[in-house]
Amino acid sequence: MDSATTVPAQGSWVQEKIFLGMTLKEYLKSLWTPFNIVAAAILAVGLPLIVYRFYAGLGATTNLSQTQPWGLWIGFDMMTGIALAAGGFTIGATVEIFGLEDYHPIERPAILTGFLGYVIAIVGLCADLGKPWNMVGIFSNNGTQSVLFEVAWCVCCYTSVLALEFAVPFFEWLGWQRFYRPLKKILLALTVLSVMFSTMHQSALGSLFIIAPGKLHPLWYSESMFFFFFLSAVIAGISMVIVESAISHKVFASQFEGHHFDADELTLGLGKAGAVVMFAYFFLKLQGVIDNHAIEYIGRGFYGKWWLVEMLGFVLLPSVMYAWAARNRRARVVRVAGVIAVTGIILNRVNISMVAYNWTQPVRYVPSWMEIMVSLALVTVGILAFRWIVNRMPVLHELDQGSPAGH
Amino acid sequence: MKLGRRTFLQMGAAGTAALTVTPVTAKAFGREEVPGEGERAVLVDTTVCVGCRGCEAACAEANGLPDPVADAEAYATRRPTGPNSFTVVNQVEKPSGESRYVKRQCMHCVEPACASACPVRAIDKEPTGPVAYHGDRCMGCRYCMVACPWSMPKYQYSKAIPLVRKCTFCATRQAEGKKPACVSVCPSGALNFGLRGELVEEARRRVYGNEGKYTQHIYGEQEAGGTNWMYITDIPFEELGFEVKVNDNSYPKLVKGALGVPPVVMTLWPPLLMGMYAFSHRKDKNGKKGAGEGGHHG
Amino acid sequence: MFGHDFLAGYSAKLLEYGLAVSYLVLFVAFWRYVQGGTAKAQPELRATPHRERAASSGWFELPSDVALHPGHTWARLLADGSVAVGLDDLGHRMVGPVESFELPAAGVTLAQGEPAVRLHAAGKSVALVSPVDGQVIAYNAAVADSSDGSNEPYGQGWLFKVQPANWKLSRAQLLDGPAAKDWIEEEAKRLVARIAPRAGVELLQDGGVPVHGMAREIDPENWDRVASQFFHTEGA
Repeated sequence: MDSATTVPAQGSWVQEKIFLGMTLKEYLKSLWTPFNIVAAAILAVGLPLIVYRFYAGLGATTNLSQTQPWGLWIGFDMMTGIALAAGGFTIGATVEIFGLEDYHPIERPAILTGFLGYVIAIVGLCADLGKPWNMVGIFSNNGTQSVLFEVAWCVCCYTSVLALEFAVPFFEWLGWQRFYRPLKKILLALTVLSVMFSTMHQSALGSLFIIAPGKLHPLWYSESMFFFFFLSAVIAGISMVIVESAISHKVFASQFEGHHFDADELTLGLGKAGAVVMFAYFFLKLQGVIDNHAIEYIGRGFYGKWWLVEMLGFVLLPSVMYAWAARNRRARVVRVAGVIAVTGIILNRVNISMVAYNWTQPVRYVPSWMEIMVSLALVTVGILAFRWIVNRMPVLHELDQGSPAGH
Repeated sequence: MKLGRRTFLQMGAAGTAALTVTPVTAKAFGREEVPGEGERAVLVDTTVCVGCRGCEAACAEANGLPDPVADAEAYATRRPTGPNSFTVVNQVEKPSGESRYVKRQCMHCVEPACASACPVRAIDKEPTGPVAYHGDRCMGCRYCMVACPWSMPKYQYSKAIPLVRKCTFCATRQAEGKKPACVSVCPSGALNFGLRGELVEEARRRVYGNEGKYTQHIYGEQEAGGTNWMYITDIPFEELGFEVKVNDNSYPKLVKGALGVPPVVMTLWPPLLMGMYAFSHRKDKNGKKGAGEGGHHG
Repeated sequence: MFGHDFLAGYSAKLLEYGLAVSYLVLFVAFWRYVQGGTAKAQPELRATPHRERAASSGWFELPSDVALHPGHTWARLLADGSVAVGLDDLGHRMVGPVESFELPAAGVTLAQGEPAVRLHAAGKSVALVSPVDGQVIAYNAAVADSSDGSNEPYGQGWLFKVQPANWKLSRAQLLDGPAAKDWIEEEAKRLVARIAPRAGVELLQDGGVPVHGMAREIDPENWDRVASQFFHTEGA
């Protein structure tokens, strides 16, 4: 279809690849959209704040305290960001390991979401660390008894794997066959590694809190927290892919012409998987509560009720919705359930790091406006990067073998 | 032998000889092994403390910290330690009107949660006892602050290049054969410096012996698997401000199960996943590469 | 040194991780070793339903100058400005050997997407739509009477020629290249799914190649519905 339309006079490589075939003037003009204006405003506030944080210190920019060392940047940017980037390994495994080729069209966007999610999480982490340049110590200082040691190593390794996986569409875009051909060959090995590293660090992020039983409310604390975090990461991956592909289909509709795949069918399939996993997760969490001798806390006081809100409203409800919608073939309901499930994962991570943490303390932590703006800016950068890449590189569609030029 | 130990402890309080004597382990006496028995420790007897806060002043001087605040301000509230105050003395009134004073600082656990939590070994347990902080290695992740059940590590949030701050147990002084600064100036003998094994015995003798005046518990003997700063007192520990919900097991041991997961995943996942791959691609005949491997479509 | 338990933990853990990493490296070699060796002698391949995507859609070849209409008819611009029209490969496989075609006479005006041809096969009949707007100028007599033109659906199997009213306009509505490839594969799968929803009937050979004469599997009650959906004709 693309080859049938007349192609304007070939511009320079920059014009073709970067400006989507427009001249610089045309391109800049095309950027003037409401979404871009809002995004620019957010970045104009958030990005300088990151510089300010390094200049003035954490005390001047955050509401962290001696009793609350971890706040929004760890609880949301890092922990939630990494959970929501889990689509990379779930869909990768679905296609490459389980052989469900039907899901191939959504594999690349999932990997891209994963890659960008991790990069943004790492940037957020650097903003939060007091002395980020000493991060290299994890490679040399033998801190092996620390869960954070394992988190750091696995995030490094996994981001590298994601980068290699993303390099395939990247080099296809550039047309450098010498690079993407060998990468494609090792895609299976990369996928196995990605599932392995993801399992390790997604669960380890939960293990971080095992060392602080007195500080975390009993309904959320468990000595098996690592298992809950891994399972909820799988849920997050499935649900994020549902939501992200729904949005992509709307926003980038032009890229799907002539490359039809049954998005609804895939959504239903993902919904089925989500339903089952969330159902199991719900009961596993209950088991964790029983194991921790915390049944009496359910429904009692603010935290007991809040736990019920999270479990019933954001785990059981979307699970049932997924199930009903998959059975009755209602893709739209699956998508709505996906949004609820994603919100549930965010809620779970925020609860564990900021709400249920320090639940006995009289004075509680609330993020400062600067923390919120920085987090917002990082998310915006992620979205903009996603859009920039998807508009240029073969992510939502693939190129012919042998014809390196883009659309 | 009892006499020898008493003499030994008296010497330890006054001089330096204690540090050169070969440590006597409880094993030799046929008793059960006490965690960290050979490590240097302090037994705080709050019934003897007069609240002079000389320990605060000595600590500030030894570590280059600002002078402690005056008594009136200090005793007005229950203070936590801070980035510029490694130790604080708080006042509590007994029902009889008499005051009790309690010195708080890092507990220097036998198996410290903070040290195990630090991914870059910026907090490191020394075999002789102190839990030491190395600012040059620290990356400022503040996980030690999350891990410590007493939230002892404090952070310099106001600085552009921040460090973690807590009691050092005067590790440098100890290496030189001296006692910690606070111990060396204590006039009343509330701070007893020695080997943990012996201090536990001394504490047990006082608390469970015929004296009868002490609360029947040694704080720090079992807490967190054993700490090197232990406390005995004659009022309930909660009134002194002690956290009583602390685990009796070491905190690093809590995460042993979770830490065992990664090596297992690294070992089991590859055969598991490759097995699933082989199973799901079993229809590809003639050894042709399946749809997932190698010549990936598109 | 007092042989501290806690401190010994660091090196123990390091050893564990190191062992796991060494294992991973060894595993690659081990796996390849196990998977190597000669495969069992394969019996002659039976046609089996292939749910996977074909490794390459080799069975479907579309000449570069041919464009497809969603009704499975194709159009090719000839040197003299006229357009040749025919039934595509998948369409031929669907109906199998054709008994006869009812082709439009010269001079008839056709509209794109409107029924233009009727074919008879296996006792059933279905209409085919025209891929272009234009006036018929010739038809392929050789094909009209008999023979199954599936050998060369885009060559000797052409059905008729038209003088296009507006080639560029008509052409823009048609598929070619990779888009056509993807679409044909999807059509094949959809067709198989409709004809044989249970895997009992083997309609796709190894490699995803549709078997000739799939339409024989359709029972007469559903023939009209399936065929008219496939060829984009209503009733007719």
